[in-house]
Amino acid sequence: MSAIEIFQIWIAAFFTLALFSFLYRDNPCYRLAEHVFAGLSAGYEVGLIWNSVIIQQMIDPMFTGGEWWLVFPGLLGVLMFARFTRDYHWVSRIPLAFVMGTTAGIFLLSELHGKVLPQVQSTMRSVNPSEGIGGVVLSLLIIVGVISTLIYFYFSKEHKGVLGGVAKLGIWFIMVSFGAHFGYTVMARISLLIGRVQFLIYDWGDTFTRIFS
Amino acid sequence: MQAWLIIAYGLLIVAGVALLVFAFRTGDRRYLYLAVLLFVVFPVVIVLKFPTEISPETQLLYDAVEKLPDSSNVLLTFDYYASTLAETEPMSRATLRHLFRKDCRVLTMTTIPLGGPSIAERVTREIAAEMGKVYGVDYVNLGYKANYVAVLKGMGSSIEAIYPTDNSGTPLAKLPMMSRIKNYADISFIIAIADNDIVSYWISIVRAQYGTPVGTGVTAVSAPQYYAYVGAGQLTGMLGGMKGAAEYEALVGHPDRATKGMTAQSLVHLFIIFSVVAGNVIFLIQKRRAGAGGQA
Repeated sequence: MSAIEIFQIWIAAFFTLALFSFLYRDNPCYRLAEHVFAGLSAGYEVGLIWNSVIIQQMIDPMFTGGEWWLVFPGLLGVLMFARFTRDYHWVSRIPLAFVMGTTAGIFLLSELHGKVLPQVQSTMRSVNPSEGIGGVVLSLLIIVGVISTLIYFYFSKEHKGVLGGVAKLGIWFIMVSFGAHFGYTVMARISLLIGRVQFLIYDWGDTFTRIFS
Repeated sequence: MQAWLIIAYGLLIVAGVALLVFAFRTGDRRYLYLAVLLFVVFPVVIVLKFPTEISPETQLLYDAVEKLPDSSNVLLTFDYYASTLAETEPMSRATLRHLFRKDCRVLTMTTIPLGGPSIAERVTREIAAEMGKVYGVDYVNLGYKANYVAVLKGMGSSIEAIYPTDNSGTPLAKLPMMSRIKNYADISFIIAIADNDIVSYWISIVRAQYGTPVGTGVTAVSAPQYYAYVGAGQLTGMLGGMKGAAEYEALVGHPDRATKGMTAQSLVHLFIIFSVVAGNVIFLIQKRRAGAGGQA
């Protein structure tokens, strides 16, 4: 491990501890870490986009490959900056309309064929007893769960009588789903803490042994 | 189990319960933070192994990779920010080890600007060096490109049109591995490791339109929404959070940081369950006492 790597680990350890210090109370170290993160992220992203998009996908193909038609998408991008002017801010709607049109066109088909139809198809389950009792129960659960949850979100008729009963069943399915989401969210957040603790103990701790040995 | 280990973990439980009592008495949540920190730090320092059971989703992904013919071309994505490294990096490391062990040609890319390109570079180079793989022959890192929808669609026609160079600026034409990979038709399997909704675009744009099978590794927060896609056969396997990563590490036979982290994960979960139950019991007792006091 080189000296520069040890220095990088110490910087990361300092910012990790500075951010955790907020759990005790707000303090200058926490605010310093927060501001450095915001500034670095913005600067890094601008540099990355400039290099990987503007240079690699517009300037280089134009000047080395003669793809001069790229001037037009480039101009559309420049028009976005009209948003900052008082008199011509409406011009920025032209590239926005282009983006919205192409996005809608792409997603209309991909969402329908890639998500909606296959998902609807997968809820059309077989309840054939030859698949075993477990399989039949699971299929019935999916069918009842999908229908009752959809009915809960049907607001054109008041939820009374049979409709109300089925909608209430739908709430139970939604609650179970929320429970699963919450459990997974707890696991995710604890994982992040574990990751930082592992970094401090394994990586930062390793630098101590290398420095003092 | 050794006696000192039982005593150490017994002391940890006592400390946790004491901090919980302090938190209830004072109403200061910082005692709870301290308790959670204790339950995380302790197992990282004094390791206690919990058994790892493999979930069907993880097994599905492992089997899919295992069934790939040797030397297949596989696309592995690093669609995650540095903030979720604890969950996602172990997935990338474990899947890379598996793919390299099968002599697969691995193409890596990212749609995340902050961290994605450098994480992909660091992880692939590290695992490749460990497994004796050569850059440009066994693996290529394409790096980052903005506008993931255009990237995912465009790679279906030509990868080179979207990524004229790799992450280091080398033209793809100069990399021997890329002579065999022009678009999705040349890729046998895609593993999208992500901490965001990009996986659903891999499903709706790439899996649905180009037919390339997609497996995934996602953070625990987003795992529940992808079970439906695994059930529908749109995803060929899934790793859910740190647990999924630990399961894959066990299958690959190389326990790493996710496996080590799962002991802390289990202990904190037990502590949270105990805290929720204890909090509700105390609340009910206080409510009953207040009711009894009112009646008197």
